[in-house]
Amino acid sequence: MEYIVRTENLSKHFGKEKAVSGLEMKIPKGEIYGFLGPNGAGKTTTIRMLLGLMKPDSGRIEIFQKDLKKERLNILGRVGSLVESPSYYPHLTAKENLEAMRKILGVPKQRIAEVLEIVRLTDACDKKVKGFSLGMKQRLGIAASLLNNPELLILDEPTNGLDPSGIIEIRNLIKSLPSECGMTVLISSHLLSEIDQMATTVGIVTKGKMIFQDSIEAMRMFSQQSVLLKVSESDKAWRSLLGRGMKAGLDSGIISLPQQSDEQVAEAVRGLVADGFSVYRVEEEKRSLEDIFLQMTREEQAG
Amino acid sequence: MLSILKSEWFKLRKSKIFGILLVGPLIGLGAGIGADAVETAGAMNEWYMLLIYMNLPYSVLFLPLVTGVLASLVCRYEHQSGGWKQVLALPVTRGKVFAAKYVLILLLVLFIQLLYLAAIFGAGLYKGVADPFPAAIIWKSILGGWVATFPLVALQLWMSVWFKSFAAPFAVNVVFTLPSILAMNSEKVGPYYPWAQPFAMMYPATDTGDIFFIPWEQLLTVIGGFFLLFYLGGYFYFQRKAV
Ligand SMILES: Nc1ncnc2c1ncn2[C@@H]1O[C@H](COP(=O)(O)OP(=O)(O)O)[C@@H](O)[C@H]1O
Ligand SMILES: [Mg+2]
Repeated sequence: MEYIVRTENLSKHFGKEKAVSGLEMKIPKGEIYGFLGPNGAGKTTTIRMLLGLMKPDSGRIEIFQKDLKKERLNILGRVGSLVESPSYYPHLTAKENLEAMRKILGVPKQRIAEVLEIVRLTDACDKKVKGFSLGMKQRLGIAASLLNNPELLILDEPTNGLDPSGIIEIRNLIKSLPSECGMTVLISSHLLSEIDQMATTVGIVTKGKMIFQDSIEAMRMFSQQSVLLKVSESDKAWRSLLGRGMKAGLDSGIISLPQQSDEQVAEAVRGLVADGFSVYRVEEEKRSLEDIFLQMTREEQAG
Repeated sequence: MLSILKSEWFKLRKSKIFGILLVGPLIGLGAGIGADAVETAGAMNEWYMLLIYMNLPYSVLFLPLVTGVLASLVCRYEHQSGGWKQVLALPVTRGKVFAAKYVLILLLVLFIQLLYLAAIFGAGLYKGVADPFPAAIIWKSILGGWVATFPLVALQLWMSVWFKSFAAPFAVNVVFTLPSILAMNSEKVGPYYPWAQPFAMMYPATDTGDIFFIPWEQLLTVIGGFFLLFYLGGYFYFQRKAV
């Protein structure tokens, strides 16, 4: 497989604390890679190292299958990034902020208007950034990251500080990038729901260690959501499901179907109805990121 | 490199620096106009007398201090809101970013020196100086004084890259600039003290035959040596700085 980003045994410590340890990140081309982990997990530190802003203690970084140490300039010319809180020059307007970067990147001037349009900042483009709200600064940061039409876009918690409608806009934008511009996207977040709605591949990091890295479907399987059924005569109904050879559990009057495909759930419901039970509710058990982390870290320790 | 320099100038010119560029030449102009040059008339070219009056506040205090202010200014907007990480994640080397900021400050100092030249001229016209204008003033005082700031600019850039606050590099600068008034008068320390170099270079020496004698050895060893020391110190610090 062609990896756009690949790290080998990447490590970094601050004092005694290991912020990143032995990280092996693999991002296939054209994916939206969700880099998920609680605050302090080491996401920003990893991203800083990917951009050469911080030197790793050990390990190797390959981007576009080139060694970052040897071909940093070439690589960074094809990467757009937004690291942690948005970066900007407060004394300049939004347009001037982008112009200062454009002079170095050497892209055509019209690209500034394009990226401002993409993040819907055209109306505010001549205002000084010092007066911007956090959400507007964040949009400007995203505009800046798109300026050089990057092949790899790295966004560190890009929806921080955005209002709900802004989050949806940015989410749709990010989702459209791989198909429309052929970009590969690395996006970090501490919110499972956020990654769940955007990512196609997921890497979960906690305490500097990658504890899970696979497709989003695999993560959903891993998180083992069960479907819960509330029915009449739950005890009898449960037995009838078992009688049909289905896996089911019963807990305080609620039947649970672990890890079933849509088809299997439908079959269970059909069976129950055919056997004369009333199905009141069919719902998915929602599990928080913490539950999933707990489960993953438990299995990490057990394995 | 040129594109980085253009970007740096773009960022800086939007931060109201023109006032700062004018302060020194105006101080010089004031000192020149206020100079009491009557009694010495005839003894030497009056332009030299004027220059000696004007140089005192300008080259001893203003010029060394302004290097620090300019260095702080070109780093301030990078420290404020994550500018460093934005610039250094662009396809640029740190060495070039450092060099661009350094060159930009030098160009501004040169511009100040040229304004100062205009101030000398203006003060002379006001005083009605009749002697021919010695072109050596341009070479030695204006350009020599400029070269003498090279090490100071390097040190101040190092400090400004290092410290987020405006105050710390400025304090360092003041602490080293003030003693140059004492160092100037000392035959032993004076020639080796970096902060006294602008004054030494700009001063029309009277005890040697050639009034604008350039002490090449001093120039190369003291100014060159301290330039290398400070520039490399700042350069290597910046290379390792985590942003
Ligand atoms: N510059 C730094 N100096 C010291 N400790 C740091 C520094 N940057 C990050 N850390 C520490 O490293 C750990 C990982 O931080 P970070 O990468 O910012 O996590 P995340 O982005 O996942 O929230 C945290 O415990 C943080 O306190
Ligand atoms: Mg972070």
